[in-house]
Amino acid sequence: MRDVTITTPEHVPIRLEPAGAGSRFLAILIDALITTAMAIAAGVVLSILLPSGIAAALTITINFIITWGWHVYFETKHQGRTPGKRALKLRVIDARGLPVSLHQSLARNIVRVLDMAPAFYGIAAIATLVTSTRRRLGDVIADTLVIRDSQALAYKGQLAAERRHNSLRTPRVLRLIRHKISLEEREFLLTLCLRADRMSPASRYDLMQDVSAAYREKLGIEEDSLSGENFVRDLTAVLFNPRA
Amino acid sequence: MNIERFLAEREHVWAELDALLARADQVKLSRPETQQLVELYRRTCTDLNRARSYTANPEVLGRLNQLTGRAYRFIYRASHDTPVWASFVKLITREIPAAFRRERLAVLAAAGAFLAGALFGSLAILVDPANGERLIPADFFSESPRERVDKIERGEERIDDVEKAMVFGASLYTHNIKVSFLAFSLGAATILLGLLILFYNGVILGAVGTMYVLDDVSVFFFAWVGPHGALELPAIIFGGAAGLVVGRALLLPGDLTRGASLRRVLPSVWRMMIAAALTLVLAGLIEGSFSQFSAKTIPYPLKISVAALLFTGLMSFLFLRRTEEP
Repeated sequence: MRDVTITTPEHVPIRLEPAGAGSRFLAILIDALITTAMAIAAGVVLSILLPSGIAAALTITINFIITWGWHVYFETKHQGRTPGKRALKLRVIDARGLPVSLHQSLARNIVRVLDMAPAFYGIAAIATLVTSTRRRLGDVIADTLVIRDSQALAYKGQLAAERRHNSLRTPRVLRLIRHKISLEEREFLLTLCLRADRMSPASRYDLMQDVSAAYREKLGIEEDSLSGENFVRDLTAVLFNPRA
Repeated sequence: MNIERFLAEREHVWAELDALLARADQVKLSRPETQQLVELYRRTCTDLNRARSYTANPEVLGRLNQLTGRAYRFIYRASHDTPVWASFVKLITREIPAAFRRERLAVLAAAGAFLAGALFGSLAILVDPANGERLIPADFFSESPRERVDKIERGEERIDDVEKAMVFGASLYTHNIKVSFLAFSLGAATILLGLLILFYNGVILGAVGTMYVLDDVSVFFFAWVGPHGALELPAIIFGGAAGLVVGRALLLPGDLTRGASLRRVLPSVWRMMIAAALTLVLAGLIEGSFSQFSAKTIPYPLKISVAALLFTGLMSFLFLRRTEEP
């Protein structure tokens, strides 16, 4: 799988991350549950209000319109997101990065009948695995993409957790860092700090303890007064801002 | 560079753009708001470029990519502000016929595959009537055509009120629309399979029709299948033809890229599909009611002339009227 890069007229390349088969399947499952529930509810209401034959005919028609119109309506009127896709933070877009058009939405949803075959979106699953940008047949035919709409940054202002004094900002530590911490590790530590607010407290604590223990050992720092998280945050602050 | 300071300084711009985009999802933005959105978009683009040279951090870049991507889709989208009703009338009266005339070769190819199938099925039965059992799904084979006709003509009318007609009609057209979607999808993905499914449908119709003719109940057959078949069969052929147009654009794009080639044909294609679906709704309603009446209620010549009228009406509406390109 590779990201899709589009270049805006301002010559800024924007990279979009195609969504995987798993999250897309969950999204379609949610949509299917909602549409089925709606169709059943409509059927029950109609059968109470109308004579049974007319109610049945209307129910069949409504069921058809809901299941096929649902995706087209939400993809075109709600910026490429059905409720299921919204729940899983996915979005359908034109492969050039523009919003999906009515024509494209119709095309990709008509081909759904083929993608569903033989069962549980089997063809779609294979297609998303073999195409480089994870498209199902409908996406190929309509030239659309389903991308991951990454969530907001959980960054709250300060890496060093609003601490007055950073005991790691010493010449010795700076020298150790320069020799022992690679570029990838630097990015890893930053990502860890930025994501910390989204973790559950228990796993956040465990992870921070493990990481701080690993770097204490690696750098040979016997600073025991700091908690795991504060050590990681102080270290990251020093890494990204050696001269403050 | 100090990533901490960069984030602290710029985050409010991104949050503002985020909020404005969320607002744009709900309501139409005012002019000053739109201008502000464009400005925020430019600043965020610059931030994305700067951030990219400082860090490869997936959190920061992911956030900026997602934000600029959303703003880009908003700013460079095409506007759709035409009134719905006027565009619907225009779609039916002008754009759909124009699309069919533009893609008449695909319609001919699809119709050719279907007719070739019908001919094949018919010849197979003429050569050896036993071939019917090999060609036609078994549930059509409960009785001989003659017996079936006798049963229907002697017995009660199957459809004796509006309710039954509507239920039956609705289940028929939803099924048929799915069949045309399938013909479309197979044609779009492979061309050949699309032609093959049309051929196969032709084989069944040709074989069944010939069996009725051999049993000397041909008038019944045409009166029974004609009124809805006159619309239903063309509609399924249209679905297949639209699939062929897509398949050609996708598999043989010529000088264009596949994406560009597809985008060029999509407007015609979805118009053909809408025409096919609407025709199938009409055909399903006819099939659920009018087609089911035997000679006791409606004389067969009347049913056959209605069929002929519907067919010529549909064809002349789509292919003969003089309309300018939309």
